[in-house]
Amino acid sequence: MALLKTFMPFAANHSPKTALRAWLAVFVLLLSGGLDLPAQTPATPEYQVKAVFLFNFAQFVEWPPEAFREAHSPVVIGVLGEDPFGSYLDETVRGEKVNNRPLVVQRYRRAEEIKTCHILFVSRSETERLEPIFAGLRGRNILTVGDAVGFAQRGGMIRFVTEKNKIRLRINLEAAKAASLMISSKLLRPAEIVAPGKD
Amino acid sequence: MPLKNTPIRRKLMTIILLTSGVVLSLTCVSFFAYEFLTFRQVTVQQLSTLGEIIAANSTAALAFDNQDDAKEVLAALKAEPHIVGACLYDKERRLFSKYPDILPADAFPAAPGEDGYRFESSHLVAFHPVVQGGKRLGTLYLKSDMEAMYERFRRYGGISILVIVLSFVVAYALSRALQKQISQPILALAETAKAISDRRDYSVRASKLGEDEFGLLTDAFNQMLTQIQAQNQALKESEERVRAVLNSALSAVLVIDANGKILDWNARAEAMFGWSRGEALGQDLTGTIIPPQYREAHRHGIERFLGTGEGAVVSRLVEMSALRRDGSEFPVELSVSPLKTGNVVTFCGFITDITERKQAEARLQAQLSRLELLSRITRAISERQDLPSIFQVIIRSLEDNLPIDFGCVCLYDPAAKVLTVTSVGVRSGVLAMELALTEQARVPIDQNGLSHCVRGQLVYEPDIIQVPFPFPQRLASGGLRSLVAAPLLVDGKVFGVLLAARRLAHSFNSADCEFLRQLSEQVALAAHQAQLYGTLQQAYDELRETQHTVMQQERLRALGQMASGIAHDINNAISPIALYTQSLLEREPNLSARARDYLVTIQGAIEDVAQTVAGMREFYRPREPQLTLAPVQLNHTISQVINLTRARWSDIPQERGIVIRLETDLPPDLPGIMAVENEIRDALTNLILNAVDAMPAGGVLTIRTRAISLPAPQNEQEPATHVCLEVCDTGVGMDEETRRRCLEPFFTTKGERGTGLGLAMVYGMVQRHTSEMEIESKPGAGTTIRLIFAVATPVTASAVWLPAQAPSRPLRVLIVDDDPLIIKSLRDTLESDGHKVTTADGGQAGINAFAASRQRGELFDVVVTDLGMPHVDGRSVAAAVKAASSATPVILLTGWGQRLLAEHDTPPHVDRILSKPPKLQELRAALAELAATSVEVKVL
Repeated sequence: MALLKTFMPFAANHSPKTALRAWLAVFVLLLSGGLDLPAQTPATPEYQVKAVFLFNFAQFVEWPPEAFREAHSPVVIGVLGEDPFGSYLDETVRGEKVNNRPLVVQRYRRAEEIKTCHILFVSRSETERLEPIFAGLRGRNILTVGDAVGFAQRGGMIRFVTEKNKIRLRINLEAAKAASLMISSKLLRPAEIVAPGKD
Repeated sequence: MPLKNTPIRRKLMTIILLTSGVVLSLTCVSFFAYEFLTFRQVTVQQLSTLGEIIAANSTAALAFDNQDDAKEVLAALKAEPHIVGACLYDKERRLFSKYPDILPADAFPAAPGEDGYRFESSHLVAFHPVVQGGKRLGTLYLKSDMEAMYERFRRYGGISILVIVLSFVVAYALSRALQKQISQPILALAETAKAISDRRDYSVRASKLGEDEFGLLTDAFNQMLTQIQAQNQALKESEERVRAVLNSALSAVLVIDANGKILDWNARAEAMFGWSRGEALGQDLTGTIIPPQYREAHRHGIERFLGTGEGAVVSRLVEMSALRRDGSEFPVELSVSPLKTGNVVTFCGFITDITERKQAEARLQAQLSRLELLSRITRAISERQDLPSIFQVIIRSLEDNLPIDFGCVCLYDPAAKVLTVTSVGVRSGVLAMELALTEQARVPIDQNGLSHCVRGQLVYEPDIIQVPFPFPQRLASGGLRSLVAAPLLVDGKVFGVLLAARRLAHSFNSADCEFLRQLSEQVALAAHQAQLYGTLQQAYDELRETQHTVMQQERLRALGQMASGIAHDINNAISPIALYTQSLLEREPNLSARARDYLVTIQGAIEDVAQTVAGMREFYRPREPQLTLAPVQLNHTISQVINLTRARWSDIPQERGIVIRLETDLPPDLPGIMAVENEIRDALTNLILNAVDAMPAGGVLTIRTRAISLPAPQNEQEPATHVCLEVCDTGVGMDEETRRRCLEPFFTTKGERGTGLGLAMVYGMVQRHTSEMEIESKPGAGTTIRLIFAVATPVTASAVWLPAQAPSRPLRVLIVDDDPLIIKSLRDTLESDGHKVTTADGGQAGINAFAASRQRGELFDVVVTDLGMPHVDGRSVAAAVKAASSATPVILLTGWGQRLLAEHDTPPHVDRILSKPPKLQELRAALAELAATSVEVKVL
């Protein structure tokens, strides 16, 4: 943080949090301007709900302490592949805090770009590459969420299933355990627990 | 029936039951309240716990929008039968899930209320937040039925009522049994009290039931009864006493009510008004004792007092009149006191019959006025000194104030037995004319009533018509009927009679007579005083006159002594001048006519000076008659003086237009008088000049003489003893002060013009001539000065001065004087006469010189010595000379000469005294005479 602060001429007089936010904004600008990111499309109502759910996961899942560098390190929500949320996800998490941690949204084109990440939404665009992605993330404390068919069976931890116009959860508890993530029993109550390989 | 009127038995039971009932009810109520509060608290706690659990379980359902799950969670509430409703609201405050599912959505609040618990009618309602990880996900609504609590309360209530009813029954039974302990003694006491008050028998006593407080109460009650019994007795006695007091009161005491009805009436009132108590009680006061003229005021007074609390006669002593039963009115003194007992006002009246007092007061008043009159008269008398005025005052006072119709004072002549009317009153004047009793009228005393009076008795004739004597009949003819004659007594002797008469018969009472008697005593005393005063005044006047004269003489004597001193010095001083002047005139034949003329003038002036000094020195002193007095024809002298002073009384005033007319009355056959003519002349001159000065505006100057005899002549043929000379003017006159001081030397009213010696010299002359001087003068009325001289006895004057010849032979003369000028002038003149003169300048020197000459054997023929010298005076010198040679004549030369003569003080050893300034002729004569004598002595 101290290092970052020295490179932030316009944030000298702001609180660390504000400074961080500003810094993130710059970063996002750099990313969107400097990199060839897929164009953001407006989220459908379905994805709006899913974005809220993503945020809610942060409250029902417990990460091991080593998943965070510091006590106030942000919870990073990553989106891999095509972003179906548009700006909605950013709006949803803006200003929110979970266990005193701010929430940050990051977008990745490839799995290799993922560095610090706690919740990773794997877009349907990555449906073909799920196995390699999961393999690459093995051992890392990242909650993988997706809505692709068979996502949970294929090694994802939580899948959004749309049933009777409602979004339901399907949780691969073993995958989560493997990533040392504790999913609250409360979350498990309304969800459907699946074993790998079955869908 | 209110509690305080219920019987004590019921009261006690009510109290016990009420107490136990209230205690039980309070216990139940507090128990219920406690239960209610605890139960509510517990219910809230239970609901809170339940809410907590449900909310925790609902988080995921809300977070992930899973209504099925929510329904499942809420369905668990089935286990709690008192939860009659529950629901979840999502983050957007929309109804998310409800329980029981069958209830319609409008059975739940449309939106969640505020977090917390509240009781609504018979339900407890809770809104519980659903929070996950610090994030609010929604709200849980729970509605709990309170039926359980009410069920419990119903059960408790039943038990409570049962207990209360049971307690009441027990309490009633107990109180019924126990109240007797308390109520019985009280009831017994009440019974006794009622019996006493019914029968008014205070000898009954209550019986005592125990030794507790009721026992004490019974004792106290019985004691009280004893006291009441004693008090009743005392009250009865007191009332009897009060009645007795009222009846024995000297005042009538009566009590009326506000309507004027008589309530009480004491014995004195019975006697005073003639109504008995029985008759008076219940009557209207107005009709009984109040005279008709006061009735209206009486009624009005009572009304006014009842209205305002004030009254004209209330609590005050008022004099008015009251009515007896027989209708007669009499004066009373009344005081009314309102008596207020409770709300009833009665009036107590104290009435005293003051008939006697009124009469006494009237008598006293009359006496006082007499006394006042007496004192007034006495005062008036004391301010007067002469009898007529005193009598006038008395009679006038009697006429005005006693009063009388006729009054006079007569003086009594015991020898002639006649009364002389001295003073008649102003009002009696007309009547006095009628009766021929005006002033100076004489009333003979015969055997009438006046004879008693002049023997010192007061005579009262109540009706003089009945008295057959002339004097009373004389008065009766003037219409007078009653007469009082009061004697005026001094030292037991009647000197007069005071007569007072009235037209009414029997009109003098004893007080009047007594008054007149006292008055006559006062008058007599005053008259006596007046006489005494007159005598005293006369004696005093004489004394003052004498004192005045003595003072006058004393003053003159002092002045004369001073004048003598001055004269002595002047005589010494002018002695050389006189001697030399004479010497020059005698011995210098070659003097020019002018020098001689001048010297003659000087000599004249010196003589004048000597004369003046002599006059000044001697003006006060009686002169030795044989020396100076000679028969003088006064008229002749007067004519001379008138001529001499004409300029002053005629010419000088006329220059200023003032005319003074001179009138003389000089009888030609006036006897001669013994006098010194030039002194008479001087005196007359002074008197004329004074008279002229006293008439600055002109007037008449009268000089007259006449022969008179003193004392008053017994018959006409006697020759006159004195001659009177009067000088009168019509000038300004003198006031008393001036008249008193006019004879004093140096006293003058003429300012710078006067010496103040004129009249003093006249007076000196008068003294020397043993004549008299009278001054009559009043301011503005002129002055008359009268000189009275004794007539000359037909004897020729003995003092004839024989001129002496100049001594034939030269003499050895020793001159002793302390004044060198005198020594020198004497030596010069005597030596010119051929005498051999030795001089000595002092007494001792003179004695020495004489002694020396004696030793030489050249005895002096004559010694001339001054009298006054320091250390050794002329007397000592003379004594020494005579001691040494008794035959040697001594001449004493003195400025005091006349005084020595006057005082018969010719010292021993002195043969001749000559006064200064010495006259050469006298000196020569003395020398010749004495030298001749001494020679004769020598020869013998």
